[in-house]
Amino acid sequence: MRIRQHPILMFTEKQKIQFYYNGKQVYGYDGDTIASALHALGIKNLSHSIHLKRARGFYCAIGNCASCNMEVNGEPNVRTCITPLKKDMDVKQQVGKGRPYDA
Amino acid sequence: MKNKADYVIIGGGISGCAIAYHLADFGAKNIVVIEKEYLTSGATGRCGAGIRQQWGAKMNCLLAKKSVEFFEKAQEILAYDGDIEFKQEGYLIVGSDQEEDMVFKTNVALQNALGIPAKRLTKEEAKQIVPYLNIDNVYSATFCPTDGHLNPFTTTDAYYKAAKRLGVTFYTYTEVKDIVVKDSVIQKVVTTRGDIETGVVINAAGGWSKAIGQMVGIDIPVYSENHEILVTEPVEKMQGPMVISFSKNIYCQQTPHGAFIMGRSDPDMPEGLDVSSSHQFLDAMAKTVTELLPPVGELRVIRQWGGLYNMSPDHQPIISGTKKLPGFYMACGFSGHGFMLAPMTGVLLAELILGKAPTMPMEELSLERFDGKQVITKEKSVV
Repeated sequence: MRIRQHPILMFTEKQKIQFYYNGKQVYGYDGDTIASALHALGIKNLSHSIHLKRARGFYCAIGNCASCNMEVNGEPNVRTCITPLKKDMDVKQQVGKGRPYDA
Repeated sequence: MKNKADYVIIGGGISGCAIAYHLADFGAKNIVVIEKEYLTSGATGRCGAGIRQQWGAKMNCLLAKKSVEFFEKAQEILAYDGDIEFKQEGYLIVGSDQEEDMVFKTNVALQNALGIPAKRLTKEEAKQIVPYLNIDNVYSATFCPTDGHLNPFTTTDAYYKAAKRLGVTFYTYTEVKDIVVKDSVIQKVVTTRGDIETGVVINAAGGWSKAIGQMVGIDIPVYSENHEILVTEPVEKMQGPMVISFSKNIYCQQTPHGAFIMGRSDPDMPEGLDVSSSHQFLDAMAKTVTELLPPVGELRVIRQWGGLYNMSPDHQPIISGTKKLPGFYMACGFSGHGFMLAPMTGVLLAELILGKAPTMPMEELSLERFDGKQVITKEKSVV
């Protein structure tokens, strides 16, 4: 959902940005973070808890809680809520704690 | 609260809990452990969780080796329902120059003579063990495969629960304010929750052990200093062994949980009981670790904290009684490695207190070793 009308603020249509979510081609808008674009697309499950693998979603929205950590362009544990969306980004749900280095 | 006990142990860290367990295991009764905050609230819960046998001083090597033998079976011996997380993937000690390599040579010879399976490595061999190790400024290394990681919290809990089953009483959030001595006989321990009559006091107070000694007029030649440490976010396993360097001033390991724990020393740290964190440490630590282990630089720091090293003059522990006051015993001055030596601390002090034959000679661990003019062999392998 996106706010289109507001009593005092103006929301002009911004430029569409194409990116990938789990390999699927999807769109956000200029000015989105990765997480806000996913949220607007109805994608609420961003990661999973470490021990019980329960779904985790958009939570603190300021880069503190790790709930929105995803794999972006191969890099694990990216805080999608504070990372601006860019064209052709490859965003994936991360399995496990992430591998910053391939042993 | 009990007002009488046969043995009062001051300090609810790994040492106090291990001493309590081994005393009770040898059949001693009426044992009380007093802890001013919660169990592991001092140095135990703040340590780097490493288990190392590669020391430069004989007593440290022997204590560490026998402690590792205990840790290997601790889960069963202590019948623990949790996981002490003993991971034996080694300690990789890296050196910067030829001079340090000569020290490695002497140390490994000593370790091997004592039955510790350490070996010297070229820097290329070191890189095979930790593939992302930056060997540009590394000269050589040593490696001992049976060193490793152990969880300080669950291991203390294992000792605590085993001791409790044997009848030991624990009082947490109880602080010792004084120890009353009359005619060289210990009368009672005064705490914030009442007095306990006892004839035997065991000082396992870590950073505060000097102050406990002062209560009975015993000057223990130790001092405390803050050593800082940090932990990163957890990631999938990428590093097996602890990587440590005395010349580069770093230790860094990945815990089974996936987080990296790392620390270094500040040579200008003043003596005292302060355990605060500094941005200077964060800055220096980040620079040190990213130079030696570059991929670790990708990780975010979650927390940092400080803890007390209780330093002795020769950097080897004081596990001892004293002729000046019968009934007063101490396990202190571990100089930053009390956690990994705890099983032997517990066994040796319990044997000493109960008059049993010691598992190993203890003269070089005595308080009196600092009295005379004898040559002191100082442990230099300390970060």
